[in-house]
Amino acid sequence: MTDINETVKPLPLIQAKQVNKVFANGCHALKDVSLDIFPGEVVVIIGPSGSGKSTFLRTLNQLESISSGHILLDQVDLTDSRTDINKVRADVGMVFQAFNLFPHKTALGNVMLAPLKVQRQSKAEAQQTARDLLTRVGLADRFNNYPSRLSGGQQQRVAIARSLAMKPKALLFDEPTSALDPEMVGEVLDVMKELAKEGMTMVVVTHEMGFAREVADRVVFMEDGELVLEETPERFFDSHHPRLQRFLGQVL
Amino acid sequence: MQTNSSRWSGHALYLLIMAMLLSGVYFAGQKIDYSWHWERLWPYIVNTESQDIVAITDGTALVDESGQLTIQPDFGGDPQVVQRYDTLVSRNGDLIFQGDTIARIDGWRFGPIAQGLWVTIKISFISLIFAVLLGIIFGLMRVAHGQVWRNLALTYVEVIRGTPLLVQIFIVYFFIGTVFDLDRFTAGVAALSIFTGAYVAEIVRAGIQSVPVGQMEAARSLGMNYAQAMLYVIMPQAIKRTLPPLAGQFINLIKDSSLVSVISITDLTKAGREVVSGSFAPFEVWFTVAALYLLVTGGLSWMIQRLEKRLAASD
Ligand SMILES: Nc1ncnc2c1ncn2[C@@H]1O[C@H](COP(=O)(O)OP(=O)(O)O)[C@@H](O)[C@H]1O
Ligand SMILES: [Mg+2]
Repeated sequence: MTDINETVKPLPLIQAKQVNKVFANGCHALKDVSLDIFPGEVVVIIGPSGSGKSTFLRTLNQLESISSGHILLDQVDLTDSRTDINKVRADVGMVFQAFNLFPHKTALGNVMLAPLKVQRQSKAEAQQTARDLLTRVGLADRFNNYPSRLSGGQQQRVAIARSLAMKPKALLFDEPTSALDPEMVGEVLDVMKELAKEGMTMVVVTHEMGFAREVADRVVFMEDGELVLEETPERFFDSHHPRLQRFLGQVL
Repeated sequence: MQTNSSRWSGHALYLLIMAMLLSGVYFAGQKIDYSWHWERLWPYIVNTESQDIVAITDGTALVDESGQLTIQPDFGGDPQVVQRYDTLVSRNGDLIFQGDTIARIDGWRFGPIAQGLWVTIKISFISLIFAVLLGIIFGLMRVAHGQVWRNLALTYVEVIRGTPLLVQIFIVYFFIGTVFDLDRFTAGVAALSIFTGAYVAEIVRAGIQSVPVGQMEAARSLGMNYAQAMLYVIMPQAIKRTLPPLAGQFINLIKDSSLVSVISITDLTKAGREVVSGSFAPFEVWFTVAALYLLVTGGLSWMIQRLEKRLAASD
């Protein structure tokens, strides 16, 4: 971030305050997690499997309810029962590890569905936006393909275009490249880097350390449901924090 | 991998076995002391004989210059006017008693078997529509978040699946039918719809639950509410998966509809029973009735298969 931003610090876009999540089976998946995400920022979350990364991400758009604490989007408390949760979800897009494209819709149909049904756009408008977005993620020649006829990398790019169609304020990525064959990881990361460059606010759970180093404004390390460390990439990867060292030793 | 030649020899063997079975049935039919009269059946399907026009009152026959036949009751009351007929049986001035044949009309009309077939198709089709509606409503209730809905739907499914259809038909006709003053046909449709609806509900539930949870999450993440996600994302996928079991359930419905004959609805089965006593050709009648059921169920299977093919575009 630039100096100007440091002196006149903007309000956070997303705020997690003392978030706890205890599942019905008693599993305490999030323990007092607090994190501020500012507009235009890219925050990368890393941590071992089962540390609560997905759970945390899913609380940010309320796919997962929280047991205590607060989540604020643009200063609006999501745990408040008066908050229109569907409106919030339209503002916070989510990209999944398993893509979760709608198999009964073409690439174009996947991208158009929510703008048509949720925002009640005209068909012409929704189609124009969908074509533009698919072109932007490099799929201009795949408009009418069904997901079953697309590679993993292509499917994930359609999924990103689908989220962008709702013009979200922030995008959440849950291990977007983990289900991909190695040769397709690059094409998805490239799209994400492009988005970051354009100023999209992003929270990314990933094991791609190169991406974290190159794109992230801040890197967060989670373990056992706790937010252990939160640093700029340079400081993060030079950190001598013992738990982080142990984790990095395992993955690198 | 199946080779082409093994497939053809399979077909040939099948034809041979079927020919042996059918000739077995044929020779068994020859051996028993039974004279086959397929031609007796025809009038019960389409009746081409001229029809009698019967006097509905006692009176005097009057034929005017235009040929119109009127039965003028002797002691007042409305006259019976017959405008269309082909052969006149009574003459001007004849004394007519109620029930006498006064004229005949040519042409054809459907016999009881064709009419019974029509009733079976009608009752099955109407019941099918209501069963699908009930099935979707209760299937959605089975997967709803509210415990009340789930309990209610489960009760419906268990009660209906745990009691025989025949008993349900009697209960609907004699109890509910009396309370709400339902006619036979409505009672029959109600019983069949409620019965089939319970099975459709379970099929719909299984279909919805077979769609990966990620689909609901993706839809909700895009800002759709629960109803929109169900309608535009989950149900289209669920319906595709439910078509094969639904086809089986619809075929059961057509066959189960034969049970409504117990409340005196003249469906195909009851028509068959009536025709047997009139035609003295029980074997022919029942073979025909079976073939007609097969025709209806086969037609339905074929339509559902076409629908499945159409929906397979995205596979
Ligand atoms: N629906 C659930 N019910 C119960 N426990 C869950 C559920 N989802 C996740 N968990 C538990 O919560 C913990 C964190 O899981 P998760 O957020 O998926 O971790 P990560 O994404 O970091 O691998 C794990 O111990 C997991 O077993
Ligand atoms: Mg995870």
